[in-house]
Amino acid sequence: MQQQFGKFQLAILIIVFLIGSTPLFELGIPAKQDAWIAMLVAAAAGLLLTVVYLTLHKRAPNAGLGELYKYHFGRYIGGFIAIVHALWFAYESMRNVRDVGELTTMALLSFTPKWIIMFLILAVAAYTASKGVEVLARIIQLLFPIVILSYFIVILLVFFSGLVKVNQLLPIMENGPMPILKAAFPNLLSFPFAQMVVFLVLFGHVSEKKSISKVTYWSQIGVSIFLVFMNALILCVLGPELAELTALPLLHVLQLVRLANFLERLDVVVTLLLFIGLFVKIATLYIASVLTASMATGWSYRALVFPIGILIYAASFLEPNNTYHIWIGLDVTLKIAPLFQIALPLVMLVVGIRKKYRSAALDGAQGT
Amino acid sequence: MTQTKKTALTPLSPSLRANVQAVNARFGGSSDLVVRLFRSDAAPERELGLLYIEGLVNTDVINESLLAPLMSMKLPPHMEGKSDRLMEALRTSVVSIGSVKEAAALEEGIQQMTDGWCLIFVDGNAVALMAAVGGAKERAIGIPQTQTVIRGPQRAFVEELGTNISLIRRIIRSPDLHVQTHKIGTQTHSSVAVLHLHGVADQGIVKEVYRRLAAIDLDGILESGYIEEFIQDETFTMFPTLLNSERPDSVAAGLLEGRVAVLVDGTPIALIAPTTFFSFFQSAEDYYQRYDIASFVRTIRYAAYVMSMLLPALYIAVTTFHQEMLPTTLLISLAAQREGVPFPGLVEALLMEMTFEVLREAGLRMPRAIGPAISIVGALVLGQSAVQAGIVSAGMVIVVSFTAISNFVMPENNMAATSRIIRFGIMIMAGMLGFFGIFISVLFVLIHLASLRSFGVPYMSPVAPGGKSGGLWRDVFVRVPWWAIVLRPLDMKLRNPKRQRSGRKPPAQRH
Repeated sequence: MQQQFGKFQLAILIIVFLIGSTPLFELGIPAKQDAWIAMLVAAAAGLLLTVVYLTLHKRAPNAGLGELYKYHFGRYIGGFIAIVHALWFAYESMRNVRDVGELTTMALLSFTPKWIIMFLILAVAAYTASKGVEVLARIIQLLFPIVILSYFIVILLVFFSGLVKVNQLLPIMENGPMPILKAAFPNLLSFPFAQMVVFLVLFGHVSEKKSISKVTYWSQIGVSIFLVFMNALILCVLGPELAELTALPLLHVLQLVRLANFLERLDVVVTLLLFIGLFVKIATLYIASVLTASMATGWSYRALVFPIGILIYAASFLEPNNTYHIWIGLDVTLKIAPLFQIALPLVMLVVGIRKKYRSAALDGAQGT
Repeated sequence: MTQTKKTALTPLSPSLRANVQAVNARFGGSSDLVVRLFRSDAAPERELGLLYIEGLVNTDVINESLLAPLMSMKLPPHMEGKSDRLMEALRTSVVSIGSVKEAAALEEGIQQMTDGWCLIFVDGNAVALMAAVGGAKERAIGIPQTQTVIRGPQRAFVEELGTNISLIRRIIRSPDLHVQTHKIGTQTHSSVAVLHLHGVADQGIVKEVYRRLAAIDLDGILESGYIEEFIQDETFTMFPTLLNSERPDSVAAGLLEGRVAVLVDGTPIALIAPTTFFSFFQSAEDYYQRYDIASFVRTIRYAAYVMSMLLPALYIAVTTFHQEMLPTTLLISLAAQREGVPFPGLVEALLMEMTFEVLREAGLRMPRAIGPAISIVGALVLGQSAVQAGIVSAGMVIVVSFTAISNFVMPENNMAATSRIIRFGIMIMAGMLGFFGIFISVLFVLIHLASLRSFGVPYMSPVAPGGKSGGLWRDVFVRVPWWAIVLRPLDMKLRNPKRQRSGRKPPAQRH
């Protein structure tokens, strides 16, 4: 039987996945003090994309992404695209693995080799993947309270220590709307909002089909507001110039917090949030990759967990150093990502399900 | 049970002598097999035989309810002269024992004899009459030794199965309490009783328990631990997926919640399934004392459990990798303590933890009389002198001691033992990778926990998966007042998920 999880778990999955490590960075900073507006615009566009994803999902309520491709493009072209997309998921997972490696050696363990750190985080993700979607949903549910509590504490402390200066956000739209749009598209849309495309793989596993749309919209709206808020909060504390310079702005914010002489070293909270966020992305994308690849090739899920894990691990060594890693992330990845996040779903939306698969899609027959 | 099914049954012979000989031969001439041959007044021409195993039966009952009436019996008027119906007469009007059965096969009779029944043969009848005259000497019902409470019943199970079942029956006085006894163990033929509350427990789970029990083919079952390892869902886990209890009230509470209890003859420890991670943090007393205090204590238990797993690792990570985390004064004082210590933090911690584990095991196994000696050696010599000798730092002794004490807070010993093992793994990871190592280990443990099931019930429910009903949360991390615990706690399709009607809050009295 296919592994399933409930609507409440879907909501938490969306929330934690979209939060990921995003609030730790000041995204959209090319728009200066308007970064939060760029975030808002991208979030709105992200919501539109989610409408597309949900429309596609409703055409075949039990299908995963691999089957959607098959239903829309036929067995061979669809299969091929599915394999490419599975590799893309693996690649995105690998980027996060590398992030963990880079950030850990940078912030916590300067003398530990990266391969150990990346191996361990990937091993934990592979353990999750080997247990399947059900356990992924549960582990995220277990981590959810930690994440929420940590952010709550962070926000509370920042406010109480009187660091927030709202006038850092002024003047609004100093140079007109263009810088905002440039910051928002495609970069901010691709990361984090359009990463929702991964849920095309997971929607099919939700047991309460009827509530999927409602739950998805509301949790995405909630997360979007939270992300915009965190973005604005960092801006308010650091100001646009400083926020642009630091590698981990939220860490910087917390280092400014001094309360009652002992609450000084909250770095560990940020590091914890960072690890949890990255782990969730690694594991979710890993599992999405395995699921999609398994549908496309017809090989069993279990058989693919290990090879894809090896693939991700090997790929995480390809980039020689952190600068290269960041350059590929910002310049190359963000140019290709819209193909999978926007172009292919839109093409599917226009093309429509092929006739011979129509009944299969609505049956929800889970063929592989 | 399994063996008698496999081997063919030997029919009894009409000859008394032959039957007695067969039984004697089957027991290999054991000296505790008592064979009493006699004749009764009613049919002096027929010889009767009474067989039992000494020590398994109550001799008073045999003498008063069996031998005396048998010897002096008179046949009722309508049976006068029909000595061939002697057996029927015995059963209907002479043997004044509650449980009586007839056996046609030798194995049947022998099996019952080992359970404390006696066999009555009548010469000329190929049937044996069996009567339950069990009543071997048993330990009296005592107070719980391992799961103590201040408020609440002070009765614990004993080794005898019948007594244990009666202890539960005396709490749940309902015909819905169903008991099914299985014989497990090809040599020991231990009785294993499965109890559930009909109409409350999930029938699928009850059937699953029967199925798993039936699959056991071991030669001997000496303790419920044997059964536990055979029927648990996952062998390769450090976490117990069955609850152990020596308290009849805990078992009764489990039954009322829709769980299934397994009692094994010969041990005072009962098994309760299915169970979740969180039930190991619930002491019986939580439900007997005020809900606010119970909730407070329960929260402390969770915190102590996390402490007992993580504290040494955190200490190692902070002193080895992340000194900047500590306030400066504390850092200086710790550094001063560690000045003379020759080992790195990890080795120091492992040394002390191992020492404590040895002390603990010694405390359990040694003869009671040597107890005080161990305390002196443990506390003074190992603790104080180790610090003075500069082998370990005082901070480490504090950490190890607090970790040890945290571990004793757990109401369930098997869950406490889990953290003792996992602690070492996390310590090593912390010694190598600092906080990152701790993060990875904890994540690993959490994923493992999330993947476990106990008889199909997710181990971490109602937290993960959760969210189906908020009512299930009222007895997890805290305990709300009794009138608010409306739902039974298990996240499964119970036939009868409600324990009481809602809205039973007592009205406030105004004077």
